[in-house]
Amino acid sequence: MRERLIWLVVAAMVLILAVLPLAISLDSAFRAETRFGLADRHSLDAFLDVFTGEEYLDALWQTILISTAVTVLCLVFGVIAAVLIARTDLPGKSALDLMVVMPMFLSPFTGLISWVALGSAKTGFLNNGLHALLAPLGIDLPPLMDVWTYGGTIWVMFLFFMPFVYLFTLGSLRSMDGALEEAARSVGASPIGALIRVTLPLCLPSILASGLVVFALTAETYTIPGEIGNYAGFTVLSWQIFLDATGANVHQAHAASAALMLVLVVVAALILQRRITRKSSRYVTVSGKGFSGRRLELGSWRWAAFGLVVLYIMFATVLPFAALLLSSFLRNSTAVVTMDMLTTEHYRQFFSNQDSYKALTNTLFLAVGSAAICVAAGFVISIADLRYSSFATRMVAMLSAIPVAVPGLVYGIGILWLSLKSPLYGTVWVLLGAYIAKFVPFGVMMSRGGLQQIHSDLDGSARMSGASPIQAMWYVTLPLMRMTLISSAFCIMLLCIKELSASAMLYTARSEVLSVLTWHYMDSGNTQFAAVVGVIQTVMMLGIVIGLRAAFGVKLERTMGRGGA
Amino acid sequence: MKIRNWLAAILLVSAPALAQTLPAPSDEAALYANAKTEGGTVVWYLNQPLEPLRLVANDFERQYPGIHVELQRAIGMQLFQKFTRESDAKQFIADVVQISDPVLMKNLAEGNYLAHWKVPTYDRIPASYKIGDQAMTIIVTDMAILYNPNKVTPEEVAILQADWRGILDPRFKGRFAVANTKCGICYVGISFFLDPAFKDKFGPSFLEKVAQQKPAIYADSVVAIDRVVAGEQDFLFYFTEGPGVTKYNQGAPMRWIEPSPRPAYANAIQGVSSTAPHPNGARLFQNWINSDAGAKSLQQSYGVRTSLAGVPDDRAVAKLPWAPHPQDYEVDFVRWEKEYDSAQDLWIKLLKQYR
Repeated sequence: MRERLIWLVVAAMVLILAVLPLAISLDSAFRAETRFGLADRHSLDAFLDVFTGEEYLDALWQTILISTAVTVLCLVFGVIAAVLIARTDLPGKSALDLMVVMPMFLSPFTGLISWVALGSAKTGFLNNGLHALLAPLGIDLPPLMDVWTYGGTIWVMFLFFMPFVYLFTLGSLRSMDGALEEAARSVGASPIGALIRVTLPLCLPSILASGLVVFALTAETYTIPGEIGNYAGFTVLSWQIFLDATGANVHQAHAASAALMLVLVVVAALILQRRITRKSSRYVTVSGKGFSGRRLELGSWRWAAFGLVVLYIMFATVLPFAALLLSSFLRNSTAVVTMDMLTTEHYRQFFSNQDSYKALTNTLFLAVGSAAICVAAGFVISIADLRYSSFATRMVAMLSAIPVAVPGLVYGIGILWLSLKSPLYGTVWVLLGAYIAKFVPFGVMMSRGGLQQIHSDLDGSARMSGASPIQAMWYVTLPLMRMTLISSAFCIMLLCIKELSASAMLYTARSEVLSVLTWHYMDSGNTQFAAVVGVIQTVMMLGIVIGLRAAFGVKLERTMGRGGA
Repeated sequence: MKIRNWLAAILLVSAPALAQTLPAPSDEAALYANAKTEGGTVVWYLNQPLEPLRLVANDFERQYPGIHVELQRAIGMQLFQKFTRESDAKQFIADVVQISDPVLMKNLAEGNYLAHWKVPTYDRIPASYKIGDQAMTIIVTDMAILYNPNKVTPEEVAILQADWRGILDPRFKGRFAVANTKCGICYVGISFFLDPAFKDKFGPSFLEKVAQQKPAIYADSVVAIDRVVAGEQDFLFYFTEGPGVTKYNQGAPMRWIEPSPRPAYANAIQGVSSTAPHPNGARLFQNWINSDAGAKSLQQSYGVRTSLAGVPDDRAVAKLPWAPHPQDYEVDFVRWEKEYDSAQDLWIKLLKQYR
């Protein structure tokens, strides 16, 4: 009885947080608009305007183009990196393994700040550095790169989303039985041929799942394509939603209709991914024995491959963090750094400002609170689904996964309108609700993965010895899943610290978080202060990753890869 | 509308009671004492750049220990929308609201979103800087071309300073930034250039020619200022002088040009929310920012000119040899309101057309 009650509470929470905001957001798409908001009556005007209007269809097209380009780039380079690290004799693999996933611990928006400093055409440190190097040789090259372009948008998002593909593919490669690849090689297939014809097709479900995650992340990100796109002359759907929902003039029904359009794009990608995966599953055999095949010897390509991976690490981790750190100590944005331009004033201001402390404590509270609730809810939902399977438990498990396909921005809008008339509006509790809605699927996925590795006979034995389901769960299952749950909790903490899409819609003076503070300072023209907040945010995340590795030996990046975080 | 009407009715009924509980505008000691007991907080919704206004808020906090000002910045319409949405839903968060559009502030005043509060310096504030006793400002918004002196030569400065049409000189093609956001500050120049009185000098064809100069288009002028400071763009056409002064005072390579006549008007008008959760703190702050001390803080910490009678322009930057001293142009707010959308849409369309 008690366990049923617990499950019912969790099920109700999932329904309220994961489904209701989405329903409200979608209902708003069919309302009439007033000058300053939504009317009570329903109307198809906004819906038709969005789904047939040139402006929105162009934004949709740009979203599909950019998301596809970023996804393809991430798939190509992510798979290459995973193969190089999992299957070849690449030097320094264990260090590279960690460094490749480091961008996951940087917020993409922080990455944009770094790349504005690094890659602006006239003032970027990279362009100027190269110019300074080549000028004495009489070589005067045009700027190597310009981040304020269409290509710049794709570049920044590629750098920060590529690790998802890498981790998914790596996990699949490492858990694969090498017998088929060995068989192919024994009948004359070259190492590369066996890899392309046998190994990679076996990984196809994981690769496509990661592709879907990258596609959805790109489609929902509005800060990077928004800031750059305005300059470069293109608009993506997520930015249009943000402008409609918050800008002049406000078009809330248009925002909701465009959000519906975005959901449909992600769902279409999900269907495509499922369709391809379904076909490929006919010949997939993963035994779980782990790979035991021969390593691919790179020969003379060994150091070139090493250079390729190091280059990615330089562009995605080392240079952005260095630029961010440098920017945080600069008096103002500049192309040429001299000692007299350095100052610690921004840090002093940050730590002497009550608002900064509030954002810091709100961020920590939300990270810890969301992680605890998502992990607990994920555990209860998974155990009910796997151990006490019924139509209801399966439905709840399925509904809890919905947020994966829904951009955070859409949840933000739904929760904003849901909470507006509640006493919780303007408090961190609303953000907590949004974070739980957005990240509970990760809690479910990670718990489910851990639970599937524990045979049901173990808690079944406890039950046969007279233990209640809760006692069996408490004394048998939970201790066995301890490390999985700890890892999941910390993964969700990292995601919460980075979260911006929903937070930017929901924050108020009382509930500002670090990611919103970064956005505000950037939007207020103070790149240096935004960089300070970005550094603090990054240090917090790296602290969690390194601390957990040192304390428990947990490789958090692996858990994130499993959960699709 | 219904909720707003209800709110107005409740306020009307409770006005005598409120009047009894709130001290008189001149009773600073009582306001301060009450502000401390109601939580010691003032939530300030503002449209001006965050960093210099934080310094202004710090000056207030120094004068009134125990009162903390929380700043929430967004551009005008976003702020208007957030504030009205919250007020209509009875979510009373903002104490003081400052919006970069006099017409939007007029809408708030007419909708009874703003309380009647006659600050002690009321009579020293020019009429065009007030909306009855519900909203006012002493910040003078001076429209300026903000430039990086390392990128613009003295000869080029002279061309730009001589006439707003200097921007059309072929040498400036592709060298400057503009913003395409809809907001009060973003609109003032467009409104000025479309003034029928200047139809021979400017008008839509002038805006079209500016767009043909292929400027870099940013989503927000303050981001564009950062790019000018960095040297990515040579100058910003146009923005308000204040943020330029802030950057200059920080040692950044930044100066400003103000051809004559130059729009100078009440932009950052602010009022006390009629449902302020900290009504005493809000009024104390409103009194202070419109006082001599507030004017000095705005001049020194933000770097803007102030309009409070009796307070001289003591800003060091105003005395610099290159500081511009143009003739003021008075903004026509009737035409402003009428053409708000069409004029800005025209500008955005032209920028898109010649991108």
